[in-house]
Amino acid sequence: MISMIMAIAIFVIMFGLIIWDKIERHIVTLACGLATAVLVFGVCMRSMDAFLETLNIRNIFTLGFWYEAGTASESTSGINWATVIFLAGMMIMVEGMARAGFFRWLCMTIAKTVKYKVIPIFLTFMVMSFILAMFIDSITVILFLAAVTLELAQLLKFNPVPMILSEIFCANLGGSATMCGDPPNIIIGTSFGYSFADFVTNTGLIAVISLVVIVLYFYLVFRKELSSAGNVVIDESKADPSSAITDKKAFIISTVIFLLAVVLLVTHAQTGLTVSFIGVLIAAITLLTAGKDVVKILKGVDYKTLLFFIGLFMVVGGLEQTGVLEVVADFIGKVSGGKMTVMIAIIIWVSAIASGFVDNIPFAATMIPVIKTLAATTGADLSVLAWTLAMGTDIGGSATPIGASANVVGTSIAAREGYPISWKKYCFSAAPATIIVVLISMVCIYVRYL
Amino acid sequence: MNKQLIISVGREFGSGGHVIAHKLAEHYQLPVYDYNLLREIAIEKNVNPEELEKYDEKPRRVLFNRTVRGYSSSVEDNIHKMQFDFLRKKSDAGESFVIIGRCSEEILKDNPNMVSIFILADYEAKVTRTMERENITREHAEKLIAFHNRKRKAYHNYYCKGKWGDSRNYELSINSSRIGLDETTRVIIDYIDARYHAK
Repeated sequence: MISMIMAIAIFVIMFGLIIWDKIERHIVTLACGLATAVLVFGVCMRSMDAFLETLNIRNIFTLGFWYEAGTASESTSGINWATVIFLAGMMIMVEGMARAGFFRWLCMTIAKTVKYKVIPIFLTFMVMSFILAMFIDSITVILFLAAVTLELAQLLKFNPVPMILSEIFCANLGGSATMCGDPPNIIIGTSFGYSFADFVTNTGLIAVISLVVIVLYFYLVFRKELSSAGNVVIDESKADPSSAITDKKAFIISTVIFLLAVVLLVTHAQTGLTVSFIGVLIAAITLLTAGKDVVKILKGVDYKTLLFFIGLFMVVGGLEQTGVLEVVADFIGKVSGGKMTVMIAIIIWVSAIASGFVDNIPFAATMIPVIKTLAATTGADLSVLAWTLAMGTDIGGSATPIGASANVVGTSIAAREGYPISWKKYCFSAAPATIIVVLISMVCIYVRYL
Repeated sequence: MNKQLIISVGREFGSGGHVIAHKLAEHYQLPVYDYNLLREIAIEKNVNPEELEKYDEKPRRVLFNRTVRGYSSSVEDNIHKMQFDFLRKKSDAGESFVIIGRCSEEILKDNPNMVSIFILADYEAKVTRTMERENITREHAEKLIAFHNRKRKAYHNYYCKGKWGDSRNYELSINSSRIGLDETTRVIIDYIDARYHAK
């Protein structure tokens, strides 16, 4: 009992400090992870096994961690090294692509293709944001898309805020479509052994249906504002796609590596290669072909996020080992009376609302053992609960400026260029869009799985 | 003046710091930046200045902010960063100017040509000045002083290591109510001249 209270206290303190946003979040999770190891596993439980199980290092040295012949394995306990290693690999790849000018080139090419017309740029950038975020982290997608949007806004004399808001939303939506699009999905996929194809055919389908509705929604909300932009004749040399390419050789190599990553991810269920293996392989190829830029690429990797994940998994491991998450699962089971419809509604709405205000990654990491226990105790289909959790956490984060990382980055870039986006302005368009997509997701899940 | 001169003026609300800053600018024939700094930035970036001005010298909200890879969701953080960058750019370009508040004594502290001054005043003097200037009651003036000083302090202390009004952060802290605004300005000019020629 004391160990449970201690694990809950550390978890609450961790969440409180993350929300307070005064101390960097990786320091918060690492310190709380250390506190979990010492106070929960050491002082209260006196269990070396619980500590080692949460540390989960042995898992890395098993064949199944790198290659899965036959059915995929499930592992929800402790540090999810597959997520950490895959994210590190993708960060290295994306850093290489960014250095070569890939993203800016892509944005400028699309703008040129639609002849620099504001409404077509608005529509195509939403779709591009969705597609890119399926394979690349949404922060990177928005980092480049928002910067190019601001550049085009200066040239074409339109207000970039509606476009940036819709790009952010579509990046979060695109992230929900695949296993590697959003961190909660990577954690869910690697924890339950789901493949890329599993995500595409389940959450992906819901995301595509939602995209159609959302593109229409944003068009109706912002069309007046964007249509009023003057027909400006621009100097095309200022927005020439080829000017975005900083190094032609590096550009070709990074494009090939990106396509290889997409192919490996799409086919990983068939090839048996795990996401950990794909992450390491892609990182190795990027670094081997980077030449003298290796150090710069490695320096560009966001180590803080990786450390954040490690600390977070330790804290959640504390909740899991002490049985707190089983209590939460039992509670949901009782409240729902074992009815799948109620369980889905609770998971999707609670996940969505919570993710709108707190980081969706710790929330998803905490909920994974909960839905696993819930499925085991109530007989509910685990995969349905997993897709519900994925949609709730991925989409809920779109509702507010702090719900997801892409929102923070996008609004910050806009503000730094003189376009501050207040909570009111942000939520005015994003909150109804979030409710629409959560409703679409819930209806799709009910219709398809029940 | 051949060499660069930046005069940073921190001030309590009602102390007459704003008037003194303008007198200094007039004496040295320098441009003054205060709330118009955001207007300058807006012109440079070709955006609506009113959108930026409402966040000027405002502290960030305590809750519901998030920082990701150095990007902050707080509009205040971003506007202030923009102001700080703008000041650094002007300072690095060798421009001379008077800057009122905006954490300038800390933002530009690495520039040896910056002189930092803090203007304070006795409470009664601040109340009387505010009542006369704003044409309001004593009660209203007291509330106004408390509100603005609290806001400036919270804003300054969030973005700076040094505390607002702490004499250790400024070269010169001076009480304007003892010898009046004109004499205070003269004393400051004497100090700046001595400092300028001592370099």
